[in-house]
Amino acid sequence: MKIAHYFILILFCWSCSSDSSDGDAITPTDDDTPMTVTNPLLDFTVPSNFPDATYSIAQNPPTEKGFELGKKLFYDGQLASDGVVSCGFCHIQSFSFTHHTHITSHGVDGQIGTRNAQPLHNLAFMNEFTWDGAATFLDTQPIIPITAEVEMNETVSNVISKLSADDDYPTLFAEAFGSEGVNADRLFKALSQFMVMMVSANSKFDKLERGESVTFTDEENAGMAIFDAKCASCHAGTLQTDQSYRNNGLPIDPQYNDIGRERVTGLPDDNRKFKVPSLRNIEITFPYMHDGRLGTLENVLDFYTDGMVDSPTLDDQFRRPDGTLGLDITAEEKGQLIAFLKTLTDNDFIEDRRFAEF
Amino acid sequence: MRRFFALIVGVAILLTACNNNDDPGTIVQDPGNLNLVFENTVNGTSLDMAPTTYTNSSDETYTVNELKYIISNITLIKTDNTEYIYPVEDSYFLINEDGSKTANLSNIPADTYKGIKFGFGVDPTKYPIESGTLNFIPLAEEAGMLWTWSAGYKFLKFEGGYANATDPTNETPFLYHVGSHGANLDNYKEITLMLNEFGINSENTASKTIQFDVAKIFDSVHTLSLEEKNEIMVDPVNAPKIAENTSTAFSISE
Repeated sequence: MKIAHYFILILFCWSCSSDSSDGDAITPTDDDTPMTVTNPLLDFTVPSNFPDATYSIAQNPPTEKGFELGKKLFYDGQLASDGVVSCGFCHIQSFSFTHHTHITSHGVDGQIGTRNAQPLHNLAFMNEFTWDGAATFLDTQPIIPITAEVEMNETVSNVISKLSADDDYPTLFAEAFGSEGVNADRLFKALSQFMVMMVSANSKFDKLERGESVTFTDEENAGMAIFDAKCASCHAGTLQTDQSYRNNGLPIDPQYNDIGRERVTGLPDDNRKFKVPSLRNIEITFPYMHDGRLGTLENVLDFYTDGMVDSPTLDDQFRRPDGTLGLDITAEEKGQLIAFLKTLTDNDFIEDRRFAEF
Repeated sequence: MRRFFALIVGVAILLTACNNNDDPGTIVQDPGNLNLVFENTVNGTSLDMAPTTYTNSSDETYTVNELKYIISNITLIKTDNTEYIYPVEDSYFLINEDGSKTANLSNIPADTYKGIKFGFGVDPTKYPIESGTLNFIPLAEEAGMLWTWSAGYKFLKFEGGYANATDPTNETPFLYHVGSHGANLDNYKEITLMLNEFGINSENTASKTIQFDVAKIFDSVHTLSLEEKNEIMVDPVNAPKIAENTSTAFSISE
């Protein structure tokens, strides 16, 4: 009886909303029959060792149906012009949602992009997205790969048309959002609902941070001490990134001549700067760097000690007092660092059936 | 039974809350519509596209091939200085010299108004958080108002040709694309225009013409010379100047 009262009150509240947009209001479909589909909210929990989420969960709370829709979209080639290259084409779960054999991303018609597909994890905690911060909100990030000619080479309008004409999507959109309507807002919000749930927080490192029953080996402990002293000024905190943009001294590759964040800001000071990537799952997210030029963690550490070239925007942290460039890390310390970096691998995440394509 | 009575009372309260009118003495009028018509002009006369030429203060002649801009976040100011905020998700409009130049606003509370506030571009604090604002993307995309490498809007797309007054036949293309630069630089501007009091009601659709003086893009707070720079895209020095100039280009003549 009491529940019925609440239900009637809720209906009245709905009727109060003066939303005149094309079906965005949460109203029951068609006549007075209430939605029969149940769509429970998913539990988005911030791990106890994590900072607060940056994504506004309250504005787009993940639901069971929204998440399922987002997942279907993520793995659907219809988002690309050739009907094949889905988001999941370059973002493969077992590699923490990056790609191993593609140094830079591959797109429709065998086209090759200019940057290395980034892993997807803990996106709900990031301020900006892509290597240069070209997307300031997770909800808008997918516009870039969908519309890039060398990636999915499609238009958002066309995607909406294809999904509207699909046998399944109109129903799935209605179930996820409570009323009829396939539109861009819902497309991006569903993708975000899927992506914000991709929280990777169950590595050995996390368990140690949370005081769970794990112990680091001597080598891992030694590696962590070196990491804290020499890497953590940029790869800072639990997320292993301070989310800044920096020039780490990579020699310019004339094939791409990538100006980095300058493309977004137009500022010469941002020339050749790229986002400091999170090092979570770093063991399984090779190749490394914005253009995937380094294949192994050993290559990366060798680059940081001996491979840098100077340029006006090079981060000062890499300038040694004697004028040479790079970090001072011995061969033994490199082994210890790699042992530590492997503690950042979260096998539960890459095996989590919720995110799996099949 | 008592519970049922409580429910009836509750519903009655809700119904009252639904009614926008708190004063039982006045008659509630049905809402009305307002059409905002944007007229692109150059120094007071209606803009003609190329090959008509105009001259800026840097003594350069120019022609216009394309002029598009985004208007958003429309608010109406009532005579008592309170404001009616038009639903944000419905308040994004593309004004295109070669297409639609009207923002049709509907379901506005009947009242007397004296001012209009709107945004030039897309407010980064509202985009895309507020529900529905992402629905503007397909329209903006079709009009070429999205950056191709970045997930943001171009607020202004202004293209044409120019020549030095001494050699007017030798035309060079120019291109001004202005938007926000990631989270780094915000070129969104808010514009307030005051006008004679006007009523909005269900009887007839009000219409107001807002003039946009194209000449002010070059010459207003700042002076921009095409010979100095004919391509301004993601330009942290010049894009803010264009945005500032553009924010002075809107007016209402009655």
